[in-house]
Amino acid sequence: MQRRAFLSQAGLATAGLAATAGCLGDSSNSESGTVTVATYSSFTGEDTAGNWLKSAFEDEHSDATVEFRTPENGINRFVQRKSQGAPIDADLFVGLNTGELVRADEQLDEELFATVEDEVEGANVVDPSLSFDPEGRAIPYDTGFISLVYDENEVDAPGTFDALLEPAYEDALIVQNAQQSDPGRAFLLWTIKAKGPDGYLDYWQGLVDNGVQVLSDWQPAYQAYENEEAPMVVSYSTDQVYYHGEGVDMSRHQVGFLNDQGYANPEGMAQFADSDNPELAREFMSFVLTEEAQKEIAVRNVQFPAVEGVEPGGDFGEYAFRPPEAVTYSYDELVGKVDGWIEDWARQIASA
Amino acid sequence: MARRDGWALWAGVAATLATLVVVFYYPVASVFAEAFSAEGRLSLAPVLSVLSDPFYVDLFAFTAYQALLSTVASVLIGLPGAYVLARFEFPGRRFLRSVTILPFVLPSILVAVGFLAMFGRTGLFNDVLGIVGLGPVNLTFTLEIVVLAHAFYNAPLVTRLVTAAWESVDADRVETARTLGASPLRAFRDVTLPQLLPALATAAVLTFVFTFMSFPIVLALGGLELATVEVWLYSQVQSLDLAEAATLGAIETALSLGLLYVYLRYEATRTGSSSGDRGLSRRPLVDGARSLLDPLRLAMLAYGAVVLVLFAGPLVSLIVESVTTPGGQFTLEYYAFLLARQASTAAGTVQPFPAVVNSLLFGAATLLVAIPMGIVVSVVATREGRGTRTAEVLLTAPLAVSGIVLGLGMLQTLVFGTTLFGRRLTVTGPVAIVAAHAVAAYPFVSRSVTPALRSVDDRLGEAARSLGADRTTVLTDVELPLVAPALVAGAAFAFAISVGEFDSTVLLAEGVDTATMPVALERYTDDRSIGPSLGPATAMGTVLLAVTTVSFVLIDRVGGMWE
Repeated sequence: MQRRAFLSQAGLATAGLAATAGCLGDSSNSESGTVTVATYSSFTGEDTAGNWLKSAFEDEHSDATVEFRTPENGINRFVQRKSQGAPIDADLFVGLNTGELVRADEQLDEELFATVEDEVEGANVVDPSLSFDPEGRAIPYDTGFISLVYDENEVDAPGTFDALLEPAYEDALIVQNAQQSDPGRAFLLWTIKAKGPDGYLDYWQGLVDNGVQVLSDWQPAYQAYENEEAPMVVSYSTDQVYYHGEGVDMSRHQVGFLNDQGYANPEGMAQFADSDNPELAREFMSFVLTEEAQKEIAVRNVQFPAVEGVEPGGDFGEYAFRPPEAVTYSYDELVGKVDGWIEDWARQIASA
Repeated sequence: MARRDGWALWAGVAATLATLVVVFYYPVASVFAEAFSAEGRLSLAPVLSVLSDPFYVDLFAFTAYQALLSTVASVLIGLPGAYVLARFEFPGRRFLRSVTILPFVLPSILVAVGFLAMFGRTGLFNDVLGIVGLGPVNLTFTLEIVVLAHAFYNAPLVTRLVTAAWESVDADRVETARTLGASPLRAFRDVTLPQLLPALATAAVLTFVFTFMSFPIVLALGGLELATVEVWLYSQVQSLDLAEAATLGAIETALSLGLLYVYLRYEATRTGSSSGDRGLSRRPLVDGARSLLDPLRLAMLAYGAVVLVLFAGPLVSLIVESVTTPGGQFTLEYYAFLLARQASTAAGTVQPFPAVVNSLLFGAATLLVAIPMGIVVSVVATREGRGTRTAEVLLTAPLAVSGIVLGLGMLQTLVFGTTLFGRRLTVTGPVAIVAAHAVAAYPFVSRSVTPALRSVDDRLGEAARSLGADRTTVLTDVELPLVAPALVAGAAFAFAISVGEFDSTVLLAEGVDTATMPVALERYTDDRSIGPSLGPATAMGTVLLAVTTVSFVLIDRVGGMWE
C-alpha cells in the first residue's frame, strides 16, 4: 500500500520536474519576481525548512526571489489588515491550521485567500485525511500528531482518557492553554472528540480535580516538564526526533497515545486573494509539495509529510511515531463551534 | 505669565502632547472606541454586560486580590533594602544600588525559567532545604510563586524610589529634631518618614497597577487557574474578539486611572520642603566584629539572605541553565549557537550582536526623548491651579494602559497606517520604536522627579526669578541639580523600559533589522534548528543581563558625577 503510493508519488514528482524543466526552457512561462511568504518565525532562519525552500526554489527559478514575513501574531495580523482595509503585503501564508482558517472566515466578509487547489500541481496527492479546507484554499504541507510525552520512570502510559482521572495520575499532567497554543487547542479538541461536546467540560473538571496544570504555551509547559514539575506533558509524537542521541536518557521522552489515537494538526499554506504575484505563489506551493521538499520539510520542521507515501528516512523514520488512529475535526465540524468550545473551557478552568 | 515661563517650557509641553497624541492617545482611543459602541452607535451596553457577568466580577476581584498581595510582598521586601542602601556604607553599595533596576528589564519567560530552576520541585531551593533536612516545598503553579515573582519585579522598584527619597532627606532637619530632644525613632517618625511616604506610596501604587495588569508571569508560573483580567484580555485578542478585549481594557484602564488620580491628589498634599543640599550621612554596615552581634545588623544579615535567595537565586539559576544541557551536563552549545547565528546569512535570522547594538541605541535615544518629556510633566505637576491633577493624570496615563491594549492600538493605527490624500501613511522603523519606548518610559522619569521637585524649597526659585531668571532657567540651573539623584533614578528607569520592552517593538519592527535583545531572545525560544530547548534563549538572556548590568552601573556613575 505504502509502496504503491510512493511509486505513484515518484512518478508524479518526475512529471512535476519535467514540467518545471519545460518552464525553464520556455521563458514566456517562467514566473519571475518576488514571492513574499508570511509564516511563523521558527520556519525561517538557519537550517530551517523555510530557508531550505528559499534556496532550493531560487535555484530552480533563477528570476525568482523568496522573501519572508514573520509577524508576531501570525495569521491574526492578516485578518486584521484585511478587516481594516490595510494592504496585505504578502503573497502566501505558510503555517495555517483548521481552527485559524475557520476564525479567519468567521471574522471577514471578504475572502482572505484564493481557491487554488486545481491550479497547484501536486495538491491532488496530499493525504486526503489531512485536507481541511472544503473550499480548496489551504493546502496541507505537513502535520503533527498531538500525543503525550511522559517519563516512564515516574508513570506508566495512561492509555486512555479515563485513566488520566485516576489517582495514579494525580498532579501528573501539564497541558497548554487552548486559547493561544496550537498543541493546547488540539488537545482540547481531542478531548471533545473523545467525550463529546456535552461531556468534555465534566471531563475537564475531573482533570482539574486530579491536578492538571494549564500553562500558556508549549515552551513553558515543556520547560516545566523538563524541570520535573510533572511526569507528563502534551506535545507531539515526533518528540524523540529532537532528543535521540548519545547519552540521552530516552526513558524521559516516551510517546503515549490515548485511546490509541493521536490528534492530527495539519499545517497548510494558502495564497492571499490580494497577492501581487499569484502565479509565482502557486508555483512555490507546487514546489513545497514535491517529494524532495516534503522530505526536507519533515526533517527540518520535525513534522510528518502531508503528501502520501513520502518517507523522510534516516533518524526521522526511526524516532517519529504515527498514532494507530489519527483523528481530527474537519473545517465544517468546527465552523460556528470552536470559539464557543474554547471559551466555555477557559471559563471553567479559570473559575476552578 | 507665559513669557516668564520661558518659551522652551511651552515648546516642551507642545512636543510632549503631540508625541502622546500620535503614539498613545490616538492608538488607544481606536481600541476603546469598540468598548463604547454597539451596532455602530454610542452605547454603554458592552461595558454593562461585562460588569453584570458574574464570571468577570470574580475575575476582577481575584485580579485585585493577587495585586494587593503582590504589592504587600513588594513593599515588605523592598523597604528594608532602601533602608540599607540609603543609611549604610559598605563595599559594593553603589553597584547594588545601580543593579536594583535589573529585574525590570528581564523578559518574563526568562524570569519564569529562573524561578522554576530556583524554586521548582527539583530546584536549587529545595535541594538546599533537603541538605538541612527541611522541605521540600511545593511552590510551582501556586499563587505564592506568582506573588514572589511579582515581588521580584516590583520590590526593586520600591527600593529604588524610596532610596532616592531617603538620600535627599535633609540632615539638618533631622539633627534639629534630635537637638530638640527627639529620640531617633521620634525623629524618624516626624521628620524622615513624611519625606519618604510620597515615594513609598508611588512605588506601592505603581506595583498595584503593574501587578493588576500582569499576565505572562501568571500564565508561566501559575497557569490558567490563576487567570487575571489581562490573561483574559490577551486571549480575546488572540481569538480576535476585539470588542470584548476593548471592553475589558477600558474597564481596567478606568480603574488604574482612578487609582492614579487618587494617588496624585494625595502626593500633591504632601509638600514637605527641604533644600536637600545636605543628605544624611551613612553609617558603615560592618564596624568591627562586635557590630555583627547588634540585633539590627543581625536582622539585616537575615534580610540579605532572603534577598539573595529571591533575587540572586533565579538569576544565577538562569545563567546555570545557559551552560547546562537538559540532562545536567556542562555545555557551551548555546553560546556557540549565538556565534553561529552571528555568522549566518540565512533569511529571517535575527543576529545577536545587532540586537545588542539596537537595544543600546534605542535605549539612548529613548533617554533623549523621555527625560525632557518627564521633566516637562513634572513641572506641570508641581504647578498649583485648577485641573492640575487632571492634567497630570492625562499626562501619566501610559502607566495605566496595558501593553496589550497599546500594542493592539498601535497595530491598527500606526502599523497598518491610514490613507491620507491618496497616500498610505504608516509609522514603523526605529523612529516609531523610540517614540513608543519614550511614551512608555517618561512617566517613570516624572514619577521619580515630581516628588523631589516638589520638595525643593520654593524660596530658591523665587530668589532666582527675582534676579531675572525665567522659569526654564530656574529649572535647569537651580532645581534640576538639586534633584539630580531622582533624575538619575528616572533615567535608569527610562533606559530599562526601553531595553526590556517587547510588545510594541515586535509590532512596530517587522523586519529582523530592528530586532532588540528581547525580540532576539523570543525568536530563539522556539528555534527549531536546536530542538525544543530554551538554551539559546537563556544564553541570549545572559548576554542581556551582562549588557544591561554594565549599562546601569554606567548610568549611575555618570549621573552621579552630576550630584
